[in-house]
Order: sequence, then C-alpha cells, then structure tokens
Amino acid sequence: MRTTSFKSRAFALVSTTALLATLVVAAPANAAATDPVCNGATPVQTCTGKTSDGALYEMRVPATFDGTMTIWSHGFGTNTNIPAGLLPIFPLGNPIDPRPQIAPAGDTALIKYLTDKGVAVIGSGFSTQAWNLDEAVKTNVELIGIFKAKFPTTKKVVAWGYSMGGGITQALAEQHPELLSAAGVMNPVDSWNAQSKYLVDMLWLMKTWFDPSIKLTGYAAGVAGDMQMIQDLGKYLLILQSLQAGVATGAWPTTSSASGKALQAAGIPSRSALLMIGRLSGISSTSSSFDGVTGPAGAAATAWPLAYAPALGTLENIAGVLGYALLGARDMQTKMGGISFDNSKTDYAKQLSDEDRTVYNAGLSGNTAIAGMLQTLNPLNPDAPRIKGEAAAVAKSASTMYQNTGKIKVPTVMMIGQHDPVEPAGIVQRISDLYEEDFAAEKDAAKKAAQKSGAYKAPARKLQVLWATTPKAWSKFNADGTPISITGTPGTGHTNFSTAHYKTFIDTMLSAATNGVLPWNGAQLSKVYKAKNLVIDRDTLYPWMKYYTN
Amino acid sequence: MAATALSLSVMPAQALSPRSEVGVTSTAIKLGITLPLKGSASFGYNQLPAAMKAYFDYVNANGGVNGRKISLVVKDDGYLPKQAIQNTQDLIAKDKVMAVIGALGTANNKAVASAVNLGRRGIPSLFVNTGFSGFADKKAFPTSTTILPSYIMEAKMIGKYVKDTFPGKKACLLYQDDDFGDDALVGFDKSHGNLDFAVKIAYPSLSQGVAGVPDSWVSKFKAGGCEVQIVFGVATATLYTVLAAAKAQYAPKWVLGSVGADIASINPAAAPYIIGATSMSFLPSVVDPKDEYIAQFKEINTKYNAGAKFNSWALIGMNTAFITVQALKAAGKNPTRKSLLAAFDKGASFPSAGLVPLNYSKTSNVGYNGYWFGTFNRSGDLVPNDTFTYTPYTTDSGTGDVVKSTYKRAAMPAKGLPN
Repeated sequence: MRTTSFKSRAFALVSTTALLATLVVAAPANAAATDPVCNGATPVQTCTGKTSDGALYEMRVPATFDGTMTIWSHGFGTNTNIPAGLLPIFPLGNPIDPRPQIAPAGDTALIKYLTDKGVAVIGSGFSTQAWNLDEAVKTNVELIGIFKAKFPTTKKVVAWGYSMGGGITQALAEQHPELLSAAGVMNPVDSWNAQSKYLVDMLWLMKTWFDPSIKLTGYAAGVAGDMQMIQDLGKYLLILQSLQAGVATGAWPTTSSASGKALQAAGIPSRSALLMIGRLSGISSTSSSFDGVTGPAGAAATAWPLAYAPALGTLENIAGVLGYALLGARDMQTKMGGISFDNSKTDYAKQLSDEDRTVYNAGLSGNTAIAGMLQTLNPLNPDAPRIKGEAAAVAKSASTMYQNTGKIKVPTVMMIGQHDPVEPAGIVQRISDLYEEDFAAEKDAAKKAAQKSGAYKAPARKLQVLWATTPKAWSKFNADGTPISITGTPGTGHTNFSTAHYKTFIDTMLSAATNGVLPWNGAQLSKVYKAKNLVIDRDTLYPWMKYYTN
Repeated sequence: MAATALSLSVMPAQALSPRSEVGVTSTAIKLGITLPLKGSASFGYNQLPAAMKAYFDYVNANGGVNGRKISLVVKDDGYLPKQAIQNTQDLIAKDKVMAVIGALGTANNKAVASAVNLGRRGIPSLFVNTGFSGFADKKAFPTSTTILPSYIMEAKMIGKYVKDTFPGKKACLLYQDDDFGDDALVGFDKSHGNLDFAVKIAYPSLSQGVAGVPDSWVSKFKAGGCEVQIVFGVATATLYTVLAAAKAQYAPKWVLGSVGADIASINPAAAPYIIGATSMSFLPSVVDPKDEYIAQFKEINTKYNAGAKFNSWALIGMNTAFITVQALKAAGKNPTRKSLLAAFDKGASFPSAGLVPLNYSKTSNVGYNGYWFGTFNRSGDLVPNDTFTYTPYTTDSGTGDVVKSTYKRAAMPAKGLPN
C-alpha cells in the first residue's frame, strides 16, 4: 500500500474549454480478416493480424507450445478520446485504443509466466470499445478459429479476462462452452441491465440532490455530445470535491437542488446523503483509505467509523467508478440511439435494505433523516424528475444486448475484490449462489442415477471463486485526527490484484483445463493462502446487485 | 439464494469425522463472544466476559460439562458492525468455536446474520444481547436465541407503570431514532402500551455527544411542561440529558429504559440528580441480601473474578453463563451445534436468576419476557423497595396485556451447579 496526504488529493477541476479544443472523433473500424503473420522468433514467436470485424489481434506462441492457448479479453475501453492532462481521473488521457491485448495490462511477466509453461497467449483489441460484449464474443470465436487453423495441434482453449473482459469471457463460456476447456473470469461486469442500473442510479441520485444542472441523458450526437458528457463529468467531480470538503461540517454543495437544500435545512448533513446514495446504488462503503473500523485515537474512536468513514469510503469509491459510469452511460445512449435506462417506476425506498437501515443508521443520521431523504426521491416530487427510457432505445437494448445468465458450463475460476467499486462483489456472489443451486440439483440427479445403477458418481464442482480480501484494518490518521489517503489496499479498488493473485488464478484455470476439473486439494488451498489476501470462501455473503433484489 | 458450507473436498481431513463437532473435543468446549471491550460504548459490557469466564471456571473446577472444560474466546468489536463481522468470521473459521454467545448490539447482530450467514450454516448465536424484537423471528434468525425482553415489551411495561404510578401527569419521551426507538414507539402506541406524550424527541445515534444538543432537548421538554421523563436511549444519552436537566433546573420524575439505565456508568457522584430515578430489571437486585442466586454468584465472583465488584454486569454475565451450561448439558453427552439448538427447541425451562420465565420452545427463540420496577439508591443500585419484594410484570411483543407475573422461579441447584 502507498500512502499520501489525504488533503493533497483534492480533485482538480476540469477545463472544458481545453477539452473542446482537443476532442478527437473516433474513426469507425473497417477491416477485413487476415491470416496471422508470424515473425518466427524463438523462444516465442509473435503473430499478428485482423479479424473480419477489423479487430487487431496478437498471438505469442512459444516454441514449446503444448497445445494449450489462452485468449484474453481486456477491460472497458473508451469510445471518446480524452487527452492527457485534462481530467484528473484520467491523468494520462483515455484515448480510443484498438491495440491488441493478450494479458492483464499487457503484463510481460505474466505473459512470460504463461509462455514458459508452453502456453500460447493471444488476444485482440476488439473492433469496438466500451460496452462491447456482443461484438467481443464474436471476435473471440473467430479468433479461436484463426488460431486453431494456424496451430492445429491446439487441444485446450482457456478464455480469460477482467472487468468488461470478465463479462465477455463469461458470455463466451455461456454461449460457446464447446470451444473452451476452462474459463477465468475476473471482476466481471454484470448483465447490461444490472450494470447500468448500478451506475446510472448513482449518477441520477447525485444529480438529483447535488446538481440538477447535470444533463446525464439526451446527449447530442458526436463531438457535441462528448463535450456535454465531459462537462457533466466536471460537475460530478466538483460535487465530490465539495462533499469531501463538507464531510466534517455537513455542508451541501452550493449547486444542490431544492430538495437537497431542504434536506440541508432539516439538519441532515451532506455526508448522510452521500452515504444514502452509496447504499441505494450498492456501492461499497469500504475503500482503499477507509476500513470502517478504525477511528482516530481518543474520544472519536467509535463515532468516527460509524458517522464519517462510511461516507468517505463511499466518496472514494464513487471517485473510482465515476469515469466508467459516465463514459458507459454516454456510450450506451449512442449505441442504442437514445435512452435505454428507465427509473420512472423505481421505488428507491425499497432499495435501502433493512440491514443497511440498521447498520448505517448513525451515518445516515437516524430514521427520521432516512425517511426525509427517501421522501425527496418519491416519483411525484417534481424536483426529482425520473429518467424515462425512449421506447426505441429500450426495445433495441432488450433485443440486441446479451444478458449474462451466470450459468457455469465449463470449469471456471473467478476472482474479485471484496470492495471493487466498479464491479461489486455481489456480481460474483450471484453467480456463485445460482451455481450452488445448479450444483445441488446436479448432486440430486447423481444420487437418483445411483439408485438405478448402484454406483454413485459425484459431480465435479465447476466453479471456484477466489475472493481478494482486505487486511483486517488499515485506515490511518494524522496527529490532528485527519485521515490519511491510502492507495492500493488489497481487496479494494478495481482490478487490484497482486502478481501472486494473478499467478494463482492462472495456475487454477490451467489446471482445470488440463485435468478437466478444478483443483480443490490441499496444494490449491496452500497456494491460495500463500498468495495473501486471497481466500476460497463460500460462507461470507455479499449483496447482489440492486437490479436483482428490487 | 443458496449458499452452502465449504465443500468437504476442501476441508481438512480431521473435520470429516462424523463424531466430532467444531469446537467440541473429548475434554473441551470452545465458545466465543464479540462485544466492545474498549471505546465509548464499552462501559459495563466490557465486564461481561470476565464474569462469564468466572462462572465457566467455577464449573470447570467442578468437573466441567460431562467432563469437558468450557473456554470462552473474547473479541473486541468496539461496537462496530464491520468489526463484529470480522470477529465472528474469525471465531468460526480460526478459533473454531462451537457457538457464539452474548454478541452485543442490534446493528452488529444484524450485520453478522447477513454477511456471515450463521443461520444457514447452522452455527448457534445464543443470547444475542439486544432487545430488538426482530430477533424473535425464528425464520430469519433460525440459530439465534434472545435473552432480553424485547424493547416492545419494555415500552408496554413502562406505559403501564407510568399510567399506574403517575396518573394524569404529563409524560415525555426521548428515544433513539433507529430500530431500538422504533420498537419503543410500537410499544407505546395505541394498540400496545397506549401512552401519550406531551413532547416526543427522536435523537439520531451519536448526536447525544454533540455539544448543545441535549440542552435543546431539555429546553423542549421543560417548555412542554413534562412531569414524567422517559429516556429510551443509551447510557450516554441518559447521562447528557440528566446533566443538561440539572443545568436547566428541569426536575421531572425520571423513568429510564433498561439500556440507558446503567446508573454506574452515569456515576451518581457526578450526577446526583439521577438518584431516585425509576428503572427496571428481570434479574434480582444485586444488593438483595436474601436472594440465593445473588448469594451464590457473589461467592463465585469473589473467588473466580479477580476481586471484581459484584454489580449488575457481573450478575448478567454469570447468569448467561449459568444458562449456557444448562443448554450444553441438555444438548447431550456429545453435544453438537444441532443438539445445542435442539435443547432450546425442546423448551427446556432452564433455571435461572430471572424473576420472569425464559420462553424457549420449538416456535420461540425468545428469552425473558418481563421486568420488575425499582428505583436507584445512593450507591447506584436498582432496588425494588426496602424489603426487596418484587412485583414482576410480563407481556409479549404483540398486543397482549401487561400482567403481573405468576412465575415461580426454580431453586438454585446445589452449589450453583446445574444437574
């Protein structure tokens, strides 16, 4: 973990004028399929080419190729070019990037780790970015075929990916289990419906209370729409900056809506509204800097983790997901030709779980404050206008977007952080829970079959989840009681895995591919334990995404 | 949603024996507790584990439970739900306790039930230390038992007491604005305790410590002409309210709910204003000179609790441990988590120091269901009257009447050791 002064991490403001001058329009992909061109290098040769949809691909094939190939699906990429130095959440810029990726963040050590084992490592850059699940599955299917044609000794194919790529990998395994020997799914996106609800709920709630001038929907086409979205992003960042400054005093952003101002006048601190947004959308209140159990020494040791830490953890996590949320929302409106999200009938009061109402009661400032906040979200409140989906876009979304079922058809290893702000642990929890039901049914069927045959053949468990966990406590405070910002805390953040985590994950999926079953022996448990902050645990429960529970 | 315990294939070999139970060996039984040992919410509660251990040590010195010695693993959660989750996970996975006993707090127990999933895993959480009525839901909390009367019962009984004792007087209410207070509001409403309030103030948890806030409450109560002041909050809320009242020369009849009536934490020396306040208990007064349970527990406390003062906390801790031992005995010669829970299902009427009955049965996981009322003396002890004659009341969490209890307490087993 790395620590810096929390005060020095204030969010920078966005220069929208500069952004307007530097926006670049994305060029549409237009490519024909090409056979792999290999350089013949040893000990690992590199082959490149393009799939029929124009996706650039790369293959690294060791001379010791043993017939096992991994195909990587990368995470969410932007469809809007954001130049470096303009947005604090993208300090190095966030350009449209079609380059092929074959491992997490192109990690050369992990690529070598695989090729040293005689495993070929391939992947593409995909033909389109952002929410590209349907396109990416097609690309991957084609790419597997291209590889097999070039390297006919291929026996085992292992698909893996994280974030958006995790969802792509899961979709590929659901739709084409015949192509795969194993799957490795890291912090996957949920289905579009669940994922968009998670992100847009958070954006809508922030807009509704803290700055109703935020557009959020109905962006114009092209660069003008990109500009509107980036202006929104700037406003969200200003809100976060204001909330951070007002954590102690309870002050609300000056841009707050009439409803927000009424809540402020009622004595409800902005930190309670911020925490409420986190609880309603399902964002973890535990973050890289805030463990929720440690307070500054002295009289506030108990009160601080109850009243302040959950709000600050929520804020830090929202900051971590904000860019993805807005880029994703904008991208989908472009792809669907309008607004496909609809919260006109959402009962937000029902989205506050009974457990959250109790556990976070002090942070939410009590039942009266909770009721007051929820009242302002009533659909009849004209100051909280709902988002009404556009029929054509909703229909297009429903008919064209693949919704992951969570069904496990090939041996699959999953890995996710306990407090990932972008893809909450509940995404994997749901898949795990659903699989437990399937597995129980499979066992029952095996028992029934045994009654006829006289021999019981136990089914093999096809899902193993590796949970990346936090330390027990990690928050730190200056002598004056102010919190210290901490980055990289295990179990928090997005795709925050150590090399040991990745290697354990890789070994697990390769073992499953080789043996046809996942490893459950002592050696596997030992390996997971030694990776640190990693556990196989089906006893801790994480709440499902709100889409499924409301 | 379905979730199961870790598959057998990934469990260590020793866990596979059908004859063994987690936390139980041929010579020992391991139990665990999580509660605040440090921090602002720890006062009094941090004395419970030592008292429980003292009673277990006494039992161990007299042969244990069917030859097994009981140990108690104690973890400090600072009254923080996230820490309680971590502690409970550790108690189960690392310390490998058979059962959790006496875990404190509504929020903590709810958080643990949800995240650690004790119910589906069949892990007993006995005598949860909260009066929130929701824990009586056996479907939602199938492996939990309560011990305190619910806050709804408590409010109903306060309602009757106030109407009977102070007829025609203006009553006012300060309550915590969460599950705790929600229960109180139900207990006082028309269909339950039916007590009206001239002034009713809800305070968000933690706000009692904010300078000036308790003064604003007292100002409203005083302006409302309150004559009977009920405080249904935590001890710090009582303390700061009483101090503010003294400053404002607000002198109602004080009626303190069970949670906020820890007069020892309030320190009568610092707040003499509270002497004579009314409160309630389901256990006998710790200064009762004739109660056989008090005498026996006091003796054990002297010998096994490192000279700690015998106060209400020591009594509660020992009484809880005393019932635990009986439940373990009722669970059979080789107790398991399942047989331990079954002991409660069978409706075992465990003798205890309580002056009202325990109500465990196949359909009820509810512990005590009543209180007697008394006043605080100058040493901060709650007494029923000069003769230590108790009038316990009993009721339910529904709309049943509050009635005088006819319960006849069982005699203390010889030497305080259950048969």
